[in-house]
Amino acid sequence: MGNFLGLVRNENMKIYRRVRTWVMLGILAFCNAILPVLFSMVDSGGQTTLWDSVMLTASFTFYLCTIFSVIVAADSVAGEFSWGTIKLLLIRPWSRSKILLSKYIAVILFSLLCTLLLAAVAMLASSIFFAGGGESSLIGPGESGSAFTFRYLLCDYVNLFMTVAIAFMLSTVFRAGGLSIGLALFIMFAKGIFASLFNPDRYGWAKYLLFSHMDLSGYLKADEGPGGATLGFSLAVLAVYYIVFMAVSWYVFHKRDVAA
Amino acid sequence: MQHEPVVRLEGVTKKVGSRTLVENVTLDIPPGQVFGFLGPNGAGKTTTIRMMVGLTSISQGDINICGYSIKEHFEKAVANVGAIVENPEMYKFLTGYQNLRHFARMMKGIDAKRIEEVVRLVGLGNRIHDKVRTYSLGMRQRLGVAQAILHRPRLLILDEPTNGLDPQGIRELRDYLRHLCRDEGTTVFVSSHLLSEMELMCDSVAIIQNGRLIDVRSLRNGNESKAEAAETGFTVDEPERALAVLEGGSREGNVITLKLARDEIPEINARLVQAGIKVYGIQTVTRSLEDQFLEMTGGDPIG
Ligand SMILES: Nc1ncnc2c1ncn2[C@@H]1O[C@H](COP(=O)(O)OP(=O)(O)OP(=O)(O)O)[C@@H](O)[C@H]1O
Ligand SMILES: [Mg+2]
Repeated sequence: MGNFLGLVRNENMKIYRRVRTWVMLGILAFCNAILPVLFSMVDSGGQTTLWDSVMLTASFTFYLCTIFSVIVAADSVAGEFSWGTIKLLLIRPWSRSKILLSKYIAVILFSLLCTLLLAAVAMLASSIFFAGGGESSLIGPGESGSAFTFRYLLCDYVNLFMTVAIAFMLSTVFRAGGLSIGLALFIMFAKGIFASLFNPDRYGWAKYLLFSHMDLSGYLKADEGPGGATLGFSLAVLAVYYIVFMAVSWYVFHKRDVAA
Repeated sequence: MQHEPVVRLEGVTKKVGSRTLVENVTLDIPPGQVFGFLGPNGAGKTTTIRMMVGLTSISQGDINICGYSIKEHFEKAVANVGAIVENPEMYKFLTGYQNLRHFARMMKGIDAKRIEEVVRLVGLGNRIHDKVRTYSLGMRQRLGVAQAILHRPRLLILDEPTNGLDPQGIRELRDYLRHLCRDEGTTVFVSSHLLSEMELMCDSVAIIQNGRLIDVRSLRNGNESKAEAAETGFTVDEPERALAVLEGGSREGNVITLKLARDEIPEINARLVQAGIKVYGIQTVTRSLEDQFLEMTGGDPIG
């Protein structure tokens, strides 16, 4: 019944009609523009290349990108509950699954927009201060800078994608935006600690942990990941976790009573 | 009734844990009526309404709307429904118009013209283009009604719609509900504990208490109980003396209240006047639904 794209448009409207969203996008653009400037000031010998600058910038600003996406994801469902608008949203001729899907799509679109903005601004600003060619410290010899940077950003995005999935799930389960944001960001920052605490090289079972595989950038340099895992294995583990997160969100959203 | 009921509740029960919030409610709501749903605080009105629109699950029994079970065919059933459940919460960071656009997109066949029509009907005027954040409670209530009637639903469910409306707003709502009912054949289901409101608004009422349906009655039986004794209040200048003259009644400020049949009123008035007492006003307090309701529910405490 009706037009599913309309639902996605609605969710988009609820994201982009808020001042908060534009503040976040503004901060993201600003940081990506200013970091290459700073790099150019400390770069003494002209050793930094364009792609180095982009990746260095992204290594900082991707945290922002993740945080902002998590905020939007956590608010997507929990916000409707705290505003009370969920009661109006769920009494339309649409199944709860479709409403949840439209929300998830809008969240993913926002995370993609953030990522594209980050990449575009970082590249533009870097290209003003740095040249494209030359030896790079980050990129192996004989490799194309643009292709490597693209893969680097892709790994970052996978990381973000999983963090957002966690935030989205927590948001549907707890219906509390703050809690979901907090927990998801805690996981984002603490996963490195977990990964070294439960090192797959020491504990065999640790290679099935989510934390061991969220950061795929190791595979850019080496074929072997933590605990001797392959890229395929890492992706499979991520996929299983992702399916679990989505299934939990869907189940809870579908089943729970909506009471005041 | 010659028509199929619009809503059919069949043995509807809602349990949360060990508590039974609504117990075995069976009710048919005939089409083209304003149907009241009356009960004291905590009786289970909102819970019942939540089940009718699929916000909460039904523990036992089923609810059919226009022939579709809300359990089995949620989308088809709810397509016939417009509702406000409790307070009409809207997206505060959007304008009223954007809110309406939002809900219009979720339903079929609502164009900009229809939205404008609805805005005019609920009397929001130019304020529709302001952010909902800046609305008063009554304006939000109006916007709530607007989103509920946007798709011309066959069944309109309003949970305490007069909450927060000014007298003018209440009157307009009442007139509008009557118009919907008469001219568009919409069935309106309103819950309230503003009992006197219900009397003015509804064709029938169902009374619920402690989760159980205790009565369903029609309010349009013509002018019943004309001869019946009614509480009559006389506003006088010397209430003490009036009490003595009348040898009965109760006093509250300058008002003496007596239980009188219609014919007795002029007689009593004459007696007061003859005794030199000034009568400023006479009021008959008809035994309202409110009294009947309080009688029936026995003024039980909540719960
Ligand atoms: N989720 C819940 N869990 C447990 N009890 C609940 C829940 N929701 C409501 N109740 C209880 O169910 C009863 C009926 O509540 P409901 O909101 O339906 O009353 P109501 O008739 O709408 O009252 P009011 O006139 O105050 O709006 C109340 O006693 C309330 O405490
Ligand atoms: Mg209620």
